[in-house]
Amino acid sequence: MTTCPDSNLNNRRWRASRLTVSVVVSLLLSAHSVRAAGDDDALSLESSAVAEEASASGASKVYVEFALGHADRRIPPPSQTLSRASLDHYLTGRLAFGWKGVLSNRLDVLDPAEPGKDGVLNSLREAYASWSDEAATWVADVGRINTRLGSGYGYNPTDFFRDGSLRTFTTANPIALRENRMGSVVLRGQRLWQGGSVSIAFSPKLANAPSGDAFSLDLGSTNSRNRGMLVLGLQPSERVSVQLALYKADGLNPQPGVSLTALLSDAFVAHGEWSAAREPSLADYAWGVSGHSVTGQRFAGGLTFTSATKLSLTAEFQANGFALSQAGWGAAAATNPALLDAYLREAQRRQDLPSRRAWLLYATQRDLGRKNLDLTAFVQYNPDDDSRVAWLELRQRWTNTDLALQVQDNAGRSGTVYGILPERRSFHILLARHFQ
Amino acid sequence: MNHRAALHRRPLLFFAVAMLLYYPPTNAAPDPQEILRASDAVRNPGKPYRVKLTLTEYEDGKQVNTNTLLTYSREQEGSSQFATLAAFVLPLRDAGKLMLRNGNDMWFFDPSTKASVRLSPQQRLMGQASNGDVMTVNLGRDYQAKLLAEEEVTDGERKLRKAYKLGLSASTTTATYTTIEFWVDQETSKPIKGRYFAESGHLLKTVYYRRYQPQLGRDRPTESVIIDGLNPQLVTVMRFSDFSTPTMPTAWFQRDYLPRFQPE
Repeated sequence: MTTCPDSNLNNRRWRASRLTVSVVVSLLLSAHSVRAAGDDDALSLESSAVAEEASASGASKVYVEFALGHADRRIPPPSQTLSRASLDHYLTGRLAFGWKGVLSNRLDVLDPAEPGKDGVLNSLREAYASWSDEAATWVADVGRINTRLGSGYGYNPTDFFRDGSLRTFTTANPIALRENRMGSVVLRGQRLWQGGSVSIAFSPKLANAPSGDAFSLDLGSTNSRNRGMLVLGLQPSERVSVQLALYKADGLNPQPGVSLTALLSDAFVAHGEWSAAREPSLADYAWGVSGHSVTGQRFAGGLTFTSATKLSLTAEFQANGFALSQAGWGAAAATNPALLDAYLREAQRRQDLPSRRAWLLYATQRDLGRKNLDLTAFVQYNPDDDSRVAWLELRQRWTNTDLALQVQDNAGRSGTVYGILPERRSFHILLARHFQ
Repeated sequence: MNHRAALHRRPLLFFAVAMLLYYPPTNAAPDPQEILRASDAVRNPGKPYRVKLTLTEYEDGKQVNTNTLLTYSREQEGSSQFATLAAFVLPLRDAGKLMLRNGNDMWFFDPSTKASVRLSPQQRLMGQASNGDVMTVNLGRDYQAKLLAEEEVTDGERKLRKAYKLGLSASTTTATYTTIEFWVDQETSKPIKGRYFAESGHLLKTVYYRRYQPQLGRDRPTESVIIDGLNPQLVTVMRFSDFSTPTMPTAWFQRDYLPRFQPE
């Protein structure tokens, strides 16, 4: 009996296809069983015990932080060891029906001390009582309150209460720096409705001059003149929110400001802030020149992108019409370089932008290569003189302990904004422990 | 004659068969949107409520993180979707931080910086608070359901259940996930399991609902197991406890109230 070659071929094809099908089926089955086994493993996991003591209604938060670092300097001494210990306490709780109290304090011990200040500096950041009705539509606050406005990352033109609010400058990171900020003593009322609110605040003059004493309330930094602010918050849509502000301080014209955020897509958020004023320039404030005001504007605006890989990137453009121009900067440098030192100190004290323009690139990456290891980095670039500050932090978080490495690099030619800072490069190792 | 009568009767027979085919039997599967709505009602009490969430994260079977949050949820006025305010309790470094979700209006508030930062859906998905959505989200409002199958499926207690397998497609712009495969118990309408997908089609997470206990008037899941879609070795076990129904004014659920919020 002969066999048809075609029949042999068909048999081989049939066996081959049967083999292929069985391999595919077994692969699919094994893939399914792997997935089922994976789910099965997951379903055997248990939840941690519920923390019975966990309650946020009377929250108390304490952390201590130790930092040890080293700086290479442009001016003598050429290198310096830096150390700091900080005790940070935040307490909030219900005082009575409708009333709550907040107490927030920070103590820093710095070596070396900042020029003109004590090595031990206590900042009473907030101490106030707040009342609201049952429907939470009327609210009143009194005490030292951190009244912060603005959506910008590195610069907040509408944050009218920012000047003089920092006793210590423990980091270059503008976001972390806000944690040290003191509030102003204010009396504030707010009316809320669905999709908006209006608030009015009055901050009286309580002292004449700032104090560098260790445990001073330093009201001269935060309440050195009568000030008031009206803020209208609106939500035109789910994706857009706006804050309109009007600020008035003794001796100055009213200053309008607008802050806006918008959700552009699943991954992009835009923000923008603008304010206008007629007031002395930053240099006039720094050099004590009085009787001359200029009209100008401040602006910050940018975009934040977040990837599915836990990377968040923000690019921000900043502008300050009250900062020294390049010509003014050059003239001051030629006259007396100490003027620029005073200028930069005043810019830092006022939390104002020292250059007419700047770019900020801010990045965070969570779980960088391992769980709970976070990277935060930023570059602030002054396009007018090609100088920049770069800062990077790697932070490993455990349940109640953080260990971090921070590196800062101030780069630029001699006589530029970041090229004349005393520290050229610095690094710190930080250890923080959180308590209840 | 008989033959002729049979010929005349044949159209009647065809008509009867056609009618049988046209009208479904009375025990046909119910409307998939109705199945979804019934399952939503199992997860969500029909009133504002507070629940404590204990999230335990595992990586390769080892516990790597534990978080505790209090979530406050209430239906938005004029819609059946939930607004959720999550207050972080533990770990201590995060205590007092708040996350608000009101549709696409999402905010993160840190009391130490007094900063309210608008979040994109992508940013929110990075954090554990987004896992709270598997409990509170009203799927029937944001998704169009299709009945894909009636099948037996293993539930979170590793028991076989007869279930409706639903295919859900996002029908609103506020839906967090593009598509979801969702299994609902045929007898009790209890959600059993969900597979949540991104727009790209990749699996974001698989969620099992388990440990049903009487809470706020009926049996509700008190635990869910969330398996990461990209890396199944990342698992979060989320326990729901301390259910209560405190007074929750609508004013709480907006950005301007966040600095004043005091958890009950």
